[in-house]
Amino acid sequence: LGSCRVPISMAEIRAGFNTIKANIQARDPIKTLSILSYPHSLHKLKSSDRCCITHHLFNFYVDKVFKHCKTEDSYVNRKISSIANSFLSVRRSLQQCHEQNKCLCGQESTEKLRQILVNYQGLNVTSAAIKSLGELDILLDWMEKS
Amino acid sequence: DALLSPPQNISILSTNMKHFLTWSPVIVQGETVKYSVEFQGEYEREYANETWIPISECSLTTATECNITEDISATVAYSLRVRAEVGARSSEWGTLQGFFNRITTSLTPPLMKVIADGYHLLVELEDLGPAFQFCVLYWKKGQERRVQQKVVKEVSSVVHLDTMEAGADYCVKAQTYIEAINRSSSFSQTQCVRAQGGTSMWLV
Amino acid sequence: SGELYCSLPNPRNVHFESVNMKNVLHWLPPEGTGDGVLYRVKYSVYGVGKWIRKPECRNINRTWCDLSTETSDYEEQYYASVKAFLNGKCSDWIETARFNPLTDTKIDPPVVRVSSTERSISIILTTPEKWKRSPEEESISLLQVYPGLQYNVSVLNKKTKKRWFFSISNNTLVVPWLEPGTAYCVSAQIHVTTPLLRSQFSKEYCISTLKDK
Repeated sequence: LGSCRVPISMAEIRAGFNTIKANIQARDPIKTLSILSYPHSLHKLKSSDRCCITHHLFNFYVDKVFKHCKTEDSYVNRKISSIANSFLSVRRSLQQCHEQNKCLCGQESTEKLRQILVNYQGLNVTSAAIKSLGELDILLDWMEKS
Repeated sequence: DALLSPPQNISILSTNMKHFLTWSPVIVQGETVKYSVEFQGEYEREYANETWIPISECSLTTATECNITEDISATVAYSLRVRAEVGARSSEWGTLQGFFNRITTSLTPPLMKVIADGYHLLVELEDLGPAFQFCVLYWKKGQERRVQQKVVKEVSSVVHLDTMEAGADYCVKAQTYIEAINRSSSFSQTQCVRAQGGTSMWLV
Repeated sequence: SGELYCSLPNPRNVHFESVNMKNVLHWLPPEGTGDGVLYRVKYSVYGVGKWIRKPECRNINRTWCDLSTETSDYEEQYYASVKAFLNGKCSDWIETARFNPLTDTKIDPPVVRVSSTERSISIILTTPEKWKRSPEEESISLLQVYPGLQYNVSVLNKKTKKRWFFSISNNTLVVPWLEPGTAYCVSAQIHVTTPLLRSQFSKEYCISTLKDK
């Protein structure tokens, strides 16, 4: 991730997400709005900011998203727990990198992170959380893009 | 109705990233005692009001163990608890002492079979699941300082390592590596095989 | 046209079938409707506000519609929708699940070319290309889309019936020190770790090493 070398079990996170992707995305009826991709795709951002954006987005998911994603389906809840705990583990590594000041955000990325929070707050918290969880593959795809 | 005592001797058996919670049976004369297991990750403790999550495969089970592998899928500290249930009665929760982090799983050296097929050195490795990679070291006997290494990520029956000089002996050993916890097992026993042919190939 | 009365049963199993990012919408006819049903298709980019009609798939009687052009940007995700019409009646618009071309496509096996000498075989693998609109368009290998792409290669000695596996990152493999005058059959598979994608093994390409002079 740019200046940070962080061990991330992407395959594990993706495997967990894939098992609940259809279920979670089906709970999100709003097709005309994206939390992560509006107004611009993550792919438009400078790759040099990759570490900082990833750090802030992992904070976003840990602090704001997962806790509001409880469903009536216990299997889905178990998978969300797996992803949430994996994110917590990765965030710890990103935090260390951030503290060593290797992880700086440019103005464009800071604005993008602000926009994501605006998009998130534009919906009621459960809808926003479920939509954000359903967009996890958007984040993972962007993180893996070389 | 006498109080139902909680399960005792709650412990974890974790080998090669397969994790099991076990406990001693609760004995109630003339009754079938069932058990239910729940887990709580670090996320639940710190961000989700310490919620506990039931494991449906181990809800109202008569077994005294539970395969928790699928739920312990992050490298963080997990709490685990189990209670006994007889009809409508349930015991207090018995909680695992301390936490369990999969980083402590015990890793065994991989089962390995080395094969010489003509001038080709091959190895058969045990499939331990997608989390496992194998670091295979091999060398020509007598040239222990010139060890070659191959990382095998895809275990599919017979894996080709290298070609061998005619008539030479080659030795192989392997260890597992799990990227998710960044740990390796100890090496397997070394196995040596001999390449086909006796006269040096260069004379052919 | 007059207001249509939408009581026709809905198209069923509306979904994308994607191979090498050639993304085709498929569906089943409404239950019990027989012949004569016509369909219309629209699609939308996830997060963007509007549905867009596909003119080439307006009032069609087939049950598929190629949306590869419309969904070629694999950094976006998509929905598509189908509506059925019969004898002045129509169905509801029935939508797909969210479609992510990058993770939801299937990959064809690599093309395998084999040559041999007396004692070795050389294997060259070619990764399939991402679907493209026209032959003139610039080709994009799936290797560029999936940087972590690897190959699993199987080599079968037809005489001994022994099969060896190789896992390689680059697309060439030379297997030396083989038996002269022996038939070897090669097949190969593409494997991407994350996102997890795995092609089928290619069909077997057999070749014999030359006989000893």
